Amino acid sequence: MSGLLRGSVAGLLVAVLALAIAWLAFDLLVIGYGESPHQLIVLLVRGTWGTAYGIGQVLYKATPLLFGGIAVSIALRAGLFNVGVEGQMSIAALGAAVVAARLSGLSPWLAVPIALAAAAFFGALWAAPAALLRARRGVHEVIATILLNRVADGVVTFLLAAGLALPASVRTPAIAPSTRLARLETVVPALAGSAVSYALPLGVALLLLWSVSARWTRLGRELEQVAQGPEACAAEHIPVARRRFEALVLSGAVAGLAASATVFGYKGAFEQGLGAGAGFISIAVALLGRGSFGGLLAAALLLGTLQQGGLVINARVPMEIIDVVSAVLIVAVAIADRKLTRLFGALDHERRLAA
Amino acid sequence: MDALRLRQISKRYGAVHAVRDVDVAFETGRVHAVVGENGAGKSTLLRIAAGLVRADSGRIFVEDQEQLGFTAAGALARGVGMVEQHFALVPVFTVLENMVLGREPGGFFGLRLDRVREAARRAFEQIGASVPLDARVEALGVGDRQRVEIARLLFRGARTLILDEPTAVLTAREAERLYGKLRILAGSGCSIVVVTHKLDEVLAFADTVTIMRRGAIVETRPVHRGSGQEESRALARAIMGTEPLVPPPRPTRRAGAPVLSVERVSLGTALRDVSFQVSEGEVVGVAGVEGNGQEELVRIIAGLAVPDAGRVTHAGTVSVVHGDRHREGLVLGASVADNLVLGELAAFSRLGPVRVGFLRPGLLANAAAARRDAVGVVPTDLSLPVSALSGGNQQKVVVARALARTESGLGLLVLAHPTRGVDLGAARAIHDLVRRLVEHRPIGALVLSSDLDELRTLSHRLLVLSRGTIATELSPDASDLAIGEQMLGLGAEVRA
Repeated sequence: MSGLLRGSVAGLLVAVLALAIAWLAFDLLVIGYGESPHQLIVLLVRGTWGTAYGIGQVLYKATPLLFGGIAVSIALRAGLFNVGVEGQMSIAALGAAVVAARLSGLSPWLAVPIALAAAAFFGALWAAPAALLRARRGVHEVIATILLNRVADGVVTFLLAAGLALPASVRTPAIAPSTRLARLETVVPALAGSAVSYALPLGVALLLLWSVSARWTRLGRELEQVAQGPEACAAEHIPVARRRFEALVLSGAVAGLAASATVFGYKGAFEQGLGAGAGFISIAVALLGRGSFGGLLAAALLLGTLQQGGLVINARVPMEIIDVVSAVLIVAVAIADRKLTRLFGALDHERRLAA
Repeated sequence: MDALRLRQISKRYGAVHAVRDVDVAFETGRVHAVVGENGAGKSTLLRIAAGLVRADSGRIFVEDQEQLGFTAAGALARGVGMVEQHFALVPVFTVLENMVLGREPGGFFGLRLDRVREAARRAFEQIGASVPLDARVEALGVGDRQRVEIARLLFRGARTLILDEPTAVLTAREAERLYGKLRILAGSGCSIVVVTHKLDEVLAFADTVTIMRRGAIVETRPVHRGSGQEESRALARAIMGTEPLVPPPRPTRRAGAPVLSVERVSLGTALRDVSFQVSEGEVVGVAGVEGNGQEELVRIIAGLAVPDAGRVTHAGTVSVVHGDRHREGLVLGASVADNLVLGELAAFSRLGPVRVGFLRPGLLANAAAARRDAVGVVPTDLSLPVSALSGGNQQKVVVARALARTESGLGLLVLAHPTRGVDLGAARAIHDLVRRLVEHRPIGALVLSSDLDELRTLSHRLLVLSRGTIATELSPDASDLAIGEQMLGLGAEVRA
């Protein structure tokens, strides 16, 4: 248990260090643009965590990142890098919206699970080619998933034009009311106007399930073993290729569930560009969160804050500054992580042997 | 003059004192053996001597000059080089390319290998070997790869050669040849340092021996070469701290029904028309120079490779200890517990075969602890990553897992190099376990090894695998020479 604690202390240190570096990058960029970093930070914080509405919007932005972060973590657990979350999210959102539009007349107790299952299915479907190529032919999943992102773009545009969208629009018909996820403002009135919905608790529940399963189920354990010692696993008849396939497909399915926030909790339909970009930021969430419950949750909130903050300060500086800061953050985490893990690893080793 | 002298060297890994206050000198013109059990600190000490690891404290002198900030490159520049247990060659490069790696002779337009060809050839000549300079390293056998490593050091101007268990992968005859060359090198003014587990080698070839135990030096003394039994006992006592037991008898044989039959199996160029049987209650040894089809044979029997022709039939379970424990035996990053039950998690899941079922950590820990105790893995902390264990204890983990799988009745146990790189005590423990199992359980065993003594201790019958075919079947009591000749495929001519 103390090992776990130590892990989170190390994680916290990494985050603090990385944040400091990202902050510095932000300052330099803003100064370069001729603005005052201090004023902009105040603006950013007030616009996000300063009001109930701002908090609601941060939570809304964080929700798809949470699903995406879990998705990337699942693949990482098996030693695979799913860079195709973006494409899996958009295909899933379109597919789920089309299915949900046809579910009128069902009770929400039936309609919501069906709609979510559809989202997971389409996400998995879009991960499947990459998973199959990896398992059968050894094609690197990074290449395959990146390419599938581009294909997803084209396919979504084509399908919308080919008849899935309402005439003269890039938007699908409205989903059945029974498939809508209620906004959280219905239980927390202060959040009024913000788009955060029940998709958030759903995501947190899924995160809890995954972080426990990763450690304590046979699936989670074997995925990790396959990542660390594929030859030894094969020699002990653990089907390595199949585990890799399963990890990527599961990852795609979870990515697909991000549609719960965008389609079911917010828009009530799919339109071109809905939730775009979340898939890429999810990679950062997974790298920052290091697969742990607290880490992923904090990372999703942090990057959600930056996303919302970018919109807030957009009037003064281009919001692309936020993209640069996010990127700096990832690089800083990658570096700090290495250094600190080594330090803490050595300490932990020493303590155990002394015991 | 001392070619290399270490003073008060200490090195800790965490709380493990791998090397403590070691003073040792390696003299010019001598073969100096370093012996000790696994984890005694031999490899660490010599890696420090070669600049591959930095000591926490202490001083290093090369030819009486103190070295500060000693690195591997600096060591080599001063003539100190090391061949590690796991070779550091690039498989897809040629021999010559590997030799110049990192110090490529360059013209303006790229590599000028022709300039060093002659020097490289001379390096091989020095050790009396002729390895084709343009062959790719991946096409070479283990023995040749080792020669490349040694020649590379000589080519780079090394005068002090440190070899970590050079004979672990060699046959007795190859080992003898190697030592012959090393003695010649020593005679020509080099200084040779050899880490080994094999006491007979020390007695046959070394001038000086240093015995290490738990990171410290027990003693350094001259070797009275060829002085036999008495000296060997004394050495073993110094290493283990206790009188070694007399070599135990072979398991009692009670050949029953066959548990494995291999019929006319062929695979590519590796195996040709191999047939043999293993019966319940017997141990069949397979001798042979490594790379003569052993690995392929194990993979086929384990069901990991499909033969081009022929048939393999089993009765009962098959459990396998693969030859390369780091690659095929262990998931190094995973815990000792997880490695002890690798591939068997279904048995510890609440939902059985359903993989999303939660594990029963208590059940798993109990099973792992039982297996750990059956072979005596130390340290006993099951949550440590298996990579934190010494080589011998890692091997015990692999063996424990395989042994546990023979519990379910009729079966076959396949052991490929079960005690490679494992110290005397652990090797003996592993042999005892195998012996007891074969005597008391309805299983047969197939042991593949390059260590003839090991094969003799365990096997009832000895098959010799040479160039992918079974050259002959011998009694395990046949002489080293007779077995060696068969291994090298020269049996007929030499005897005639």
